[in-house]
Amino acid sequence: MSRRRRFEASTLFLLSPWIVSLLLFGLYPFGFSFALSFYDYSPLNPQSAKFLGLANYAEALRDPLFWTALKNTLIFVFGTIPFTTLLALGLALALQKRFRGRDFFRAGFFLPTVVSIVVISLVWKGLYAPEGFLSSLVRALGGTPPRWLLEPHTALASIMAMDVWAASGYYMVIFLAGLQAIPEELYESASLEGATPWQKFVHITLPMLRPTFLFVLVVNSVRSLQVFTEVFVMTGGGPLHSTLTSVFYLYEQAFYKFRLGYASSIAYLLFALTLGLAFLQVRWLKLESPRT
Amino acid sequence: MRIRALLTFALLLALAGCGKKAGGKELVVFWQFFPAEQIGPVLDEFRKQNPGVDVQMEQLTWQSGLEKITAATAAGNVPDLCELGSTWFPRFAAQGALVDWTDSTAAMAQQMVLADMARVNGRSYGLPWAVGTRALFWNKALFARAGLDTTRGPENWDELLAAARKVNKLGGGIAGYGANAGERYVLFKKFMPYAWGNGGQLLTDDGKASAFDSPENVQALEFYLALAKAGRVDRQDQLDEAFMQGKLGAQISGAWLFRKIPKQAPDLAYGVALVPHPVGDRGTHASFAGGEILCSFKASKNPSGALKLARFLASRDAALMLARANQSVQPAVRGVESDAYYQQRPMERVLLDQLALAVPTPNHPAWLDMEAAIEDEVEKALYGKESAAQAVKAASARIDALAKNTDLSAK
Repeated sequence: MSRRRRFEASTLFLLSPWIVSLLLFGLYPFGFSFALSFYDYSPLNPQSAKFLGLANYAEALRDPLFWTALKNTLIFVFGTIPFTTLLALGLALALQKRFRGRDFFRAGFFLPTVVSIVVISLVWKGLYAPEGFLSSLVRALGGTPPRWLLEPHTALASIMAMDVWAASGYYMVIFLAGLQAIPEELYESASLEGATPWQKFVHITLPMLRPTFLFVLVVNSVRSLQVFTEVFVMTGGGPLHSTLTSVFYLYEQAFYKFRLGYASSIAYLLFALTLGLAFLQVRWLKLESPRT
Repeated sequence: MRIRALLTFALLLALAGCGKKAGGKELVVFWQFFPAEQIGPVLDEFRKQNPGVDVQMEQLTWQSGLEKITAATAAGNVPDLCELGSTWFPRFAAQGALVDWTDSTAAMAQQMVLADMARVNGRSYGLPWAVGTRALFWNKALFARAGLDTTRGPENWDELLAAARKVNKLGGGIAGYGANAGERYVLFKKFMPYAWGNGGQLLTDDGKASAFDSPENVQALEFYLALAKAGRVDRQDQLDEAFMQGKLGAQISGAWLFRKIPKQAPDLAYGVALVPHPVGDRGTHASFAGGEILCSFKASKNPSGALKLARFLASRDAALMLARANQSVQPAVRGVESDAYYQQRPMERVLLDQLALAVPTPNHPAWLDMEAAIEDEVEKALYGKESAAQAVKAASARIDALAKNTDLSAK
C-alpha cells in the first residue's frame, strides 16, 4: 500500500508542470471569463466593473449583429465540413496504396497544416486579388472573374473554399491512420466471398472508420466554429458584414470596444453551441463512448 | 478560445512585471510601433543626452499591439510611455487610464499641428508625435492620354469627376478613380475628406448629438458614389498596387506611397494634390488627419521619466529624425517644411500643406463605433443597397444613439 502511495505521489509530482499550467492558464481563465460574462467589465478600468446578471446574454440575443455573426459561422461550419471530410477521405483512399511518389503527395497535401494560417490567408488574399492568379485564370478561360472577397455574396464562400483546401490535409492523415487500423483479414475473407471493391468499401471500410469519422467531425466542428484568423486577415468581417463570424465579433467587442464582459457572454453562447453540436454528433454516430 | 489565451497573456504579463529595476539607472519602459531600425537611433540620441536614464523599448505590431496594450492595462502592468493611435486614444482617455499632461506640456502643445488630437474636454492626455494625412495622388501619364491638363492636379470636384470619367474610358483595365471598400477603418478616411470639405460635420459642438444628417454630407456621398462609378471599388493595398502599375487615374492615399513608389514603380509619372474642394469658391481642401500620440498611464511606474522621453521624442529634431527614417509620417511639430528634407521633396511638402487643412476625428469615447456606423452605411450605398440620403440618415441615427448613450462626464 505504501509503495502504491509513493507511486501516486511521484506521479503527481511529475505531472505537476502540466497540472499547474492547466489550472493557471486553462481552468482559471476559463472560470474567470465565465464570471466576466455577468459583468460590465472594461480592461482599462477594472475597478468600476458592474454586476449585470444575465443582461449580457440578453443583449447578445437581441443584438442583430450577434445573429448575423452566428448565421455566417454556421454557414461556414456546415458549408466546409462535408467538403473537407469528403476530400480528406478521398485523398486518404488514393494515397493509401503503394505507388511511386506516394510520400511526396502525402507530404504535399499535409503541407498547408504546418503553414501558419496567417500566411495562408495572406497568400490567398493575393490569389483572390482583382489582378491575382485566380482572376487571371478565369479571364484566360474567357470568363468574367467574380470579385471574390469584395462582393457580399462571394466573400464568405471564397474564405470557405480556402479553408477546405487548407484543412483537408490534416484530416487526410487522420483517415490514413484509421484505414491502417482496419485488419487486413476482413478484406481477405470478403474477397474469398466474392465481394466487389465497392461492397468492401461500404461494408468494411466505412463502418470500421466510424470512430475516425466521429473524431474528424467533432474536432473540425470545434475548430470551424472558432474561425477567426482568416476573417481577421482577409476581410475584417466585411463587406457589409458578410464575413462577420462569432469569434471575430467577440474579438472586436473585447479588444476594440473594450467590452470584455459582453464578449465573454458571446464566447459562452458559442461554447454552449459547440458542446450541443458535439453531443449531437456523438449521438448521431451512435457510439456509447468515443474511442479516439 | 482566443479570449482565454488573451486573459492568460494578461496574467503572464502581471507575473512577469513583478520587480523590474535597472542597475543604478532610471528606467523608462517605452512601447511603440515603429521598426527598431527607425526608432533605435532616435532613442540612442536620447540616451546620449540623458546618461542617467535608460530606455527599454518594445516594438508592438499593428496586428496585435492594441490587444497587448489592453491586456497590460487590465493586468496593471503598463509601460511608462506608450504610443497610441489617435482613434484608440479617446477610449483610453475616457476611461481615466491616462495621465493628465495639460500643465506640463502646454508650451509644447502650442507648437503642434493638431494639438487637439490629444485633448479631451480641454485637457491634454498626451503629446502628438507623428501625424499623417491623405491627399490626392494622380497619374500624369494617364491624364495625358485622356487629354487632360498635366501641369496641375484636379482642383475641385467637377474637375476630378470629369478627369476620372475620361481616364475610365481609356479601357484596358484602367480605372478612373479608386474608391474603398472591403476592409475596416479605411473607407471613412476616404469619404470624410469630401464631406468635411463640403462643410459637413459629424457631431454637434458639444458632442452630445449627431450632426451627420445634413445636405452637405448627402451631397458629398453622392459625389463619392459618382467617383466610384467612374472607376473601381477595392481594398487600399489593391488600389495602391493598381496605381503603381499605372492602371488607376486618381485616388486618395497616404505618404506610404512615397516609400513604395521608388522601389516598385520608379518610372511612374504621378502628382500629388490637395483633396479637391466643392465647385466654385465654396468649401475647403479638407482631409483626414490621424496620428500617433505619446501617453503615460496612471499605473505607470515612472511617470516623470515618461514625460522626459515624450518631450524629447516630440521635439522638432527627434521627430524629424524619425520622419526621415520612416518616410511615411510627418512630425507633429509646426515649421518643419523649412528643413532640407522637405525642401528637396515638393510632393511631400504637399502633404504638410494638406495636414494644415486636415481634420482630426472627434475625441469621443464611442468614436470607433461611430466610425463603424459611417463605414457600414457608406458601404451599403457603394454596393447599391441604399441611396446616399438613406445612408447618411441611417448613419446619423446610429451616431446619435451612441452620442446619447455615452456619459461624457465619466472619468
